[in-house]
Amino acid sequence: MAKLVAVGVFMVIVAFSWNAASHEMTPTYFKMVPSHVDNVYRTKVNVYNRRNDIKYYEIGVFDADFNPIPFTSLYRIVKVDYLSEVNIDIYIRSDAVNKAVYICSKSKLRKNIKFLTAVASRICSKAK
Amino acid sequence: MFKKLSAVMLGALASLNVLAETAPIHAFVESRCIIQTDMAGTYGNPNAYTLSTAAEDGGDPVVIRFDVTLADSYYAEITAPQEFSTSPIINEVMTWEGDTTVKTVSDATGMGEYETNKVELGMLDRYDLIATGSTWFETSSKVALGGDKAFPGGDYTALVTAECIAK
Repeated sequence: MAKLVAVGVFMVIVAFSWNAASHEMTPTYFKMVPSHVDNVYRTKVNVYNRRNDIKYYEIGVFDADFNPIPFTSLYRIVKVDYLSEVNIDIYIRSDAVNKAVYICSKSKLRKNIKFLTAVASRICSKAK
Repeated sequence: MFKKLSAVMLGALASLNVLAETAPIHAFVESRCIIQTDMAGTYGNPNAYTLSTAAEDGGDPVVIRFDVTLADSYYAEITAPQEFSTSPIINEVMTWEGDTTVKTVSDATGMGEYETNKVELGMLDRYDLIATGSTWFETSSKVALGGDKAFPGGDYTALVTAECIAK
């Protein structure tokens, strides 16, 4: 019962604060599948932007030590308007696909922001 | 009679097929880790050579909230700034200090040990988000200019990096 109340309180908190500035990305665990091109694998991530101070997110693919892995997508820096979602296809060569452990989206802040401190958010999905 | 009935049944089956081909299946998978900026923070300028987010120095610390709906699946990594992302040209050496602490949690039982169990690597603090719910982190930052020289006039911005990394 107490757990149920705690979950309820959490959901109410989340519901009331939904308008706050947030960055979201799915899935938590991605899976690479063969693409229509030989020796190239594909996966898809979704980025949600609920940060009204951010319009662009940078996509990166990394190994277990967060060293960058070469990949292809339509854009590395993706425009995600406030309160909208963008699906991003990511392609990785078959010789690098086993090294890809993390796919991350990182917010890009504009140079002319007015805050004296600002928050750069990054969310990373992990390979299944 | 039998022929007519068969024709009607075939027609019904055919129309069912058409319906099945066009019926969409929608799904919405919610994000399991959400990073929210509750307060972007400001630096106070208590003296000519210091910028600080401490309340007693006239600043506001950064408050970041992590909402997690999948237990024991994410690390939160928060890095206090070690440089300005935008500032006037500064030739003196700057001394940066920064720290992140847990401010509030939505589940005191499951999250009570977050602060005790955190791993600190320089300016980076790593928390193991073992429970579902919300955690508010507060990051403070202080920078002093070497030789007690005054910061030049202009706009300054420093970045706090908040990361949610799947385990």
